[in-house]
Amino acid sequence: MSDELDRIRREMHSVLQPEGARPDDSLKITRRTFIHGSLIFGAATVGQAFAWWPLLNTLDIAHAAETPFKFAWISDTHLYPRSLNTRFVDKVVRAAQEVQAMDPPADFLIFGGDLAQLGKIEELELGVDLLKEIKIPKHYIPGEHDWYLDMGKKWGELFGQPNWSFDHKGVRFIGLDTVSRGPDYWTAKNMTPEERMGHMATLDGTVAGPWAGVGRDQLDWMEKTLADWDKARPVVIFSHNPLYEYYPPWNFWIRDWREVHEVLKPFAKVTNIHGHVHQVLYNEIGTMRSIGMLATSWPWPYAPEGLPKLTKPMIRVDPGDPYDGVGWSKIDVGATDKVETEYIMWGRKEVFVQSPEDHDKHVSEVIRPRIADNMWPF
Amino acid sequence: MTTHSKIRCSLRRFGLVGGIAIAAVFAGPTNAHKDPVKPEQLKLYQEAFMEEVRKGDLLFHGDQATAEALGVADDLSNTGMACAMCHPMASDTHPQSFPKFQAQIAKFATLRDMINWCIEKPMQGVKIDPESEAMKALEAYITWSNTGSVLQPGKY
Repeated sequence: MSDELDRIRREMHSVLQPEGARPDDSLKITRRTFIHGSLIFGAATVGQAFAWWPLLNTLDIAHAAETPFKFAWISDTHLYPRSLNTRFVDKVVRAAQEVQAMDPPADFLIFGGDLAQLGKIEELELGVDLLKEIKIPKHYIPGEHDWYLDMGKKWGELFGQPNWSFDHKGVRFIGLDTVSRGPDYWTAKNMTPEERMGHMATLDGTVAGPWAGVGRDQLDWMEKTLADWDKARPVVIFSHNPLYEYYPPWNFWIRDWREVHEVLKPFAKVTNIHGHVHQVLYNEIGTMRSIGMLATSWPWPYAPEGLPKLTKPMIRVDPGDPYDGVGWSKIDVGATDKVETEYIMWGRKEVFVQSPEDHDKHVSEVIRPRIADNMWPF
Repeated sequence: MTTHSKIRCSLRRFGLVGGIAIAAVFAGPTNAHKDPVKPEQLKLYQEAFMEEVRKGDLLFHGDQATAEALGVADDLSNTGMACAMCHPMASDTHPQSFPKFQAQIAKFATLRDMINWCIEKPMQGVKIDPESEAMKALEAYITWSNTGSVLQPGKY
């Protein structure tokens, strides 16, 4: 399957990457510079397979930024009621305190979805309560865990419209709703809201099908929102799910990712920042680069295949330490052609794999899809 | 009986025994010590295995009814978390590498030891009986899901 994914990504890339675009080699590698470091690592490790891929991106969201600024990202807190599980609560408290303590302060916070675990009112309200600690402006996009118990009713009451746009210091920011367009798998099977939510909350479940998507109406809205924006100016898209195909057997990807790229094709500097994958991830297709963010709740392992070649893998974690492999992110937008995405991975000085022994995938792995979904009454 | 006739008698006996042995070989040696597995029996064995896999799959994904049926509802998890939250499709469990030295446990461990460690630590549950139906079902699911993985005993 990974060959097929590579072929699809390459095809999209060749369609979308403008001619004559050259890598920018002026960027330096530091521990905290994810974007640039990952590319060098990718080049060094995948060797010949990498040859078709551009060595470095030519994009920089800061290029047209009027003044430098920072913003923060927290997502995938997956809060249970406090009475059941406080380990996820503790980590949100820590993330909120650290974001609030940023000096100079971040201009705003993006919450990237999956505030709740099972979409319960008390879970969503707990999240709001914990994030009150952060006094800077906050913008929320939904995750599927927030949505499918009451189909977004409570989420809408708390946070309003799930997709939105604003301009900040020369950058256009767009928040997308990638979760609410799932096909109806519950009505015909007479599922309760809890059953519907349970299937949606299972990453490797098959009952909900390929649910993530943007939808034609939202694509049209994106097009309209970007119609007056200078094609050379930076655009940052926030989404819960990655905006490209990444291991379809797990519900990571959005099914209309090609259409999203078509809308963004005219823009030279597009950055997508997404949650949902609970892992360090980096990919480029055409003029868009995608950066996967950490969860505060728990880390997911990398899929056995289909990992984007430009990803510099995160270090394997100790599952006995609830603070390992999780955290939040700072994004620095500089005025001098520089963007730094810093993973605040608690308990780790090193975020990225440095040696083969630390790599998750050195034991070869072939895994099968679930069977219980097919043998169960649903 | 003369010595000659004794020898002839022995040869005849030997011939008789040898003949029976040769006939047995041609008739089919499996009949001598083991019944052949009939297709319908094989189907039953596979169904029994897949039933364990199905139960293990549901336990692994936090299905409450299955946990209750197997008597581990109070033990498996006290955080609301399920095995599949860190191991979608039983990934990253590497059953083919056990037994091995397991760093978190700091000892030479079997897959069952590791399953119990996960129950105790990330899920804050209570260790289950290694011989229990629930453990066998979890083991069956994890092993089945990783069937295509290459056997690498002792790999970290």
